[in-house]
Amino acid sequence: MGEAQKGLLSVVEKLKGTTEQEVRIVLLGLDNAGKTTLLKSLASEDVNTITPTQGFNIKSVASHGMKLNVWDIGGQRKIRAFWKKYLENTDLLIYVIDSADKKRFEETGLELSELIDEENLKGVPVLIFANKQDLATASPASEIAEGLNLHTYRDREWQIQACSAVSGEGVQDGMNWICNNIANRKKK
Amino acid sequence: MAEDDSEWVLESIVGFLGSPEWVIPVTDFMENKCTVFDDEEENKLSYTEIHQQYKNLVEKLLENYMQEVGINEQQFLYACTSPFAKSKTLQIVFQPVLATDDFQMFRSLMVQKNMELQLQALRVMKERNGELPECLTHGADVMTELQQQEMKILHQVLQKSKEEYEEEMSFRMLLDEENGSTSSSSSDKPFREKQASTSSQQDSTAKELPESEQDQLQQRATYLRQQRDRLHALKKEQQKSSYNSPPEEAPSSPTEISAEEKKRLQKRKHLAEKLKEEVIKK
Ligand SMILES: Nc1nc2c(ncn2[C@@H]2O[C@H](COP(=O)(O)OP(=O)(O)OP(=O)(O)O)[C@@H](O)[C@H]2O)c(=O)[nH]1
Ligand SMILES: [Mg+2]
Repeated sequence: MGEAQKGLLSVVEKLKGTTEQEVRIVLLGLDNAGKTTLLKSLASEDVNTITPTQGFNIKSVASHGMKLNVWDIGGQRKIRAFWKKYLENTDLLIYVIDSADKKRFEETGLELSELIDEENLKGVPVLIFANKQDLATASPASEIAEGLNLHTYRDREWQIQACSAVSGEGVQDGMNWICNNIANRKKK
Repeated sequence: MAEDDSEWVLESIVGFLGSPEWVIPVTDFMENKCTVFDDEEENKLSYTEIHQQYKNLVEKLLENYMQEVGINEQQFLYACTSPFAKSKTLQIVFQPVLATDDFQMFRSLMVQKNMELQLQALRVMKERNGELPECLTHGADVMTELQQQEMKILHQVLQKSKEEYEEEMSFRMLLDEENGSTSSSSSDKPFREKQASTSSQQDSTAKELPESEQDQLQQRATYLRQQRDRLHALKKEQQKSSYNSPPEEAPSSPTEISAEEKKRLQKRKHLAEKLKEEVIKK
């Protein structure tokens, strides 16, 4: 598994007619964190009819002259085992946290640190969305960053962004960070 | 030097993509695996597994071919980057190859294939029955009774398909040759041998599935292949008869139907799916 892309098929990309730059972004986080809500709001779609994700969703969003292909994978425990299968060739990881769900901060921290150790995500920049900031019980992003020991991350760019996927606040700031980051990387 | 080769390399690959060596295993794969692909917005986890199997299959086929005719990876790379490869026509030809790199394209090809098969099943039904039963065209309440009737017919189709299989195989060969595909096999025997080898290849790619599911896939494959062969034969028949007399009822093509008809088709589609499921599970 996975070998295919390294051989002949890695060339197939060159066959494509379009020259638009494509970016693969994977959206992960615990169940109920707000990943699908975020995805839909990025695609300017209705966020009122979202149900827990059993598989995965993909949306392509045009931004800063790039095509962002965003993959939102279900976060329920039984689905987390499959996350690994979606990490290959990822340009950027977005990790979403429900800032009001203090009980599960430890759990979400563990999942994130496991991802960070994945070979396929080596050096891949991470954007953490401290979501649901519209709730009164939400912890501030700085506190979450500390709890996650983000300052210990080496050899990768990271950013934490407070946001509300429901109101849209902070989402664009996060996306701007992503686009600047990727534009800089590709220049190198 | 390799740049100069890009034209013949491209031509050669395009030729391969139209040959039975490519078309048969790829079509078989799609027909085997398409049944789980619905048009819900959310993707199932199993799609990813199937996409991976597809990548493996395509890579193996391309690799074998390139080795056979002596195209190296560098030449392949130049051919892929050549501007000629970016023409609209070739982009369509390359779709099944591009689908290895593009999940969303792969998914839409599979969804489309699933729809096609369901329509084919309906055509076979129509052929057996003359007309579609009332419930399929108007959705009356007598579903279950008619459903049973349809089940019987599909059973018969299955049985009959088996008998007619041999005959239809040669029909298909004729058809393949007429379509200008360069089948290297001119007799029935090597053709079937080739088929056997491609299906065993698929067995190995499907290894990760539980046995029961594999069984089911295998049965489904056989069934669907038979359906397809029947359809080919049917088309052939209609082509022949249209020279003499107009066909009694042209099969409804999905491209030339009204919105009304579409709604009805949708209904039939669902029922056909159910029927297919039940028949195949037995
Ligand atoms: N108040 C508030 N609620 C939110 C916000 N974002 C998402 N939600 C709600 O949180 C719940 C879960 O959202 P989803 O988008 O389904 O969460 P998910 O991360 O996709 O969950 P899984 O698909 O199970 O992994 C829904 O009821 C959303 O309406 C937010 O910013 N603020
Ligand atoms: Mg979700």
